[in-house]
Amino acid sequence: MEDRVIEINFGPQHPSTHGVLRIKVKLDGEIIVDAQPVIGYLHRNAEKLAEMGSYPKGMIYIDRLDYVAALNMELGYVLAVENLMDVQVPERAQWIRMLMVELNREASHLIWLGTHGLDMGMLTPFFYCFRERERILRIFDEITGSRLLYNYFAIGGVYSDITPKAIEMIKAWTDDFGSKLEEIQSILGKSYIYVSRTKGVGVLTAEDILSYGVTGPMQRASGIKRDVRKNSPYLYYDRINFDVPSRTEGDVYARFLVRIEEMRQSIRIVKQVLDKLPQGDFYNKKYSKPMLVRLKTTGESYVPTESPKGEFGIHLIGDGSSIPYRVRIRSPSFANLSSIPTMLKGYKIADLTAAVSSIDPVFGEVDR
Amino acid sequence: MNLFFFLMSILYGIVKFLHIDFVPFTFHGIPVGLWIAYLIVGVVEVVLVFALSMLAVIIIIYVFRKYMADVQNRIGPNRVGIWGTLQLIADVFKLIQKQDIIPTSADRTAYRVAPYIVFTPVILGFILIPFGNVSILNLMVVNFNYTILFLIAFMTIAPVGEIIGGLASHNKFSLYGALRSAAQDMGFEVPMLISLIGVIILAGSYSANDIVTAQRFIPFIIPEILGFIVFFLAMIGRQSIPPFDLPESGSELVSGFSTEYSGMRYGIFYMGNFGFMALAAFVVAVVYLGGWEGPVFPGTIWLIVKGAVFIFIFLLTWISLGRVRIDQLLQMGWKYLLPLSIINLLISAGLALYLGGVF
Repeated sequence: MEDRVIEINFGPQHPSTHGVLRIKVKLDGEIIVDAQPVIGYLHRNAEKLAEMGSYPKGMIYIDRLDYVAALNMELGYVLAVENLMDVQVPERAQWIRMLMVELNREASHLIWLGTHGLDMGMLTPFFYCFRERERILRIFDEITGSRLLYNYFAIGGVYSDITPKAIEMIKAWTDDFGSKLEEIQSILGKSYIYVSRTKGVGVLTAEDILSYGVTGPMQRASGIKRDVRKNSPYLYYDRINFDVPSRTEGDVYARFLVRIEEMRQSIRIVKQVLDKLPQGDFYNKKYSKPMLVRLKTTGESYVPTESPKGEFGIHLIGDGSSIPYRVRIRSPSFANLSSIPTMLKGYKIADLTAAVSSIDPVFGEVDR
Repeated sequence: MNLFFFLMSILYGIVKFLHIDFVPFTFHGIPVGLWIAYLIVGVVEVVLVFALSMLAVIIIIYVFRKYMADVQNRIGPNRVGIWGTLQLIADVFKLIQKQDIIPTSADRTAYRVAPYIVFTPVILGFILIPFGNVSILNLMVVNFNYTILFLIAFMTIAPVGEIIGGLASHNKFSLYGALRSAAQDMGFEVPMLISLIGVIILAGSYSANDIVTAQRFIPFIIPEILGFIVFFLAMIGRQSIPPFDLPESGSELVSGFSTEYSGMRYGIFYMGNFGFMALAAFVVAVVYLGGWEGPVFPGTIWLIVKGAVFIFIFLLTWISLGRVRIDQLLQMGWKYLLPLSIINLLISAGLALYLGGVF
């Protein structure tokens, strides 16, 4: 038995490993005997770097964690800092944050959908997804001035107000995107080949989910209906209506359906936020920029948020000086990735790419 | 009249016109002049076929790139030449300039030979396609009684090159690509041949020319619809294009059997694949859609139109479908296509027995 096993390194340079994931796979023919993820190829010391500057300066490192959903990362940091210092945030800023975060969730899920199709051997949905993502990035460009790493959320609000032109763009996008999503979903979900390759593949049971600390869409696809936005609402998620999609199968196809449904719910949230967006300040005038750098505090804070990949939060410890004592990042992809050995054992090589891409790992966040 | 004799008579006319009549020349009773004439005509034929198949490959790759770009909201090649038509030429120049890298642990001879084993049979296959009749001239390079068998034989050689290339590369991904290629060919070859036997029974001949003329009233796609489905799917599978691109499978096995190949060697694999696509389309058109048989227009145009339809179907499957898993593919080959092809064989045997005169 032992000499029949071939060991193959999937990655760190491989077309379908989503960045620099390396999986040591032991194969018996086409069947996976063992799979161990090896991480650390994109380690940039983000936690320690964030502990070297004042509180607002940590933002630029946090931005670069999950670089396809940078605003969700910023939100986690901003909420933690505000919680630590009891900063009051104007209502308009909170609504703008919700809007931006949901838009970024869409952008992140679109990247996932495109690359997932690519891993299943379909090139075409990738381009459709990037076409749609491009519209969201244009909106971000209009509001924040940048397309990928925004540094937009500030302690006490946001850096710039949302312009009327941007609101027009978002409205046009919400009217349009539902049908486009339907189209992209039909390419994958109505394809017999795709469905037969993903059903019953990479199954994680609810016990596995809990023991590995897997969160986000993967958790909800396995029957645990837990969404931080619903269970412990931050921002104003308790003031709007949205559903938390969940499935019980726990396979790749269930994750696909859950993520697609989440994108629909995000459109709903964006529409409601646009209706409820109040007038007013977009930042707390008490906290001007020079003053932010000198903020001093003691204590601990952790605010869980629902990032596109799962529960994201930052554990901040202040020791009374103007720089944080500890910035501990709870990154969802890191925990989700640890389920790879359980998820892959006994399946075929082709299922490896399907299952790994259904985790949707982003390595800036895994390696930090 | 054969193309060979046609070219021969043209050569003879030129020779007579220029007053350098070397054809009757003999040396100790050996007809050396005639042999030289045969050689010249042979070279001309080879050049013609090679140019034709290369032209087909160039057109298919260009159309593929443009069509795929159109489907995917892109522009596609538009810089080199008018509307990017010369992009492939530029690509070939780039590939030729590249350093020739052979892995140190590779089996050098086999590694070098493999691309040509994929590429050459495709060119050879074009020799045997009946391109139509222009009055009495038969546009077929060689015409004998077993052309369809040779055609299938040439198409069978190409995957052997993939297997050799994969094994010679000394790379685990290549090894997997080669093994998959072998499994896939076994899965598709048997149903393909059995479904082809149905056609041979109905036409009563192994000759591609006779198979075409047997379809002058009813193309074989109507009585042999099952066989057509099997043969067509097998043809997609034999080309290793999506959804059956398992030997290459870009996202799983890096690039499968061609992982270690770079430069022009990879380019030859690539062109061989597209040449195989053209060949497969023409073979399906000849065997099931009546080849050059058709009203009003000349036969060659009919064949090209029918072949183009199949090429577009191939491209459309390539663009729109994902990849199947290896076990699903083998299941399809052995569990569905093989029984279907045997049923088709029985049906066509019955047809030949009771309605033999129709075809």
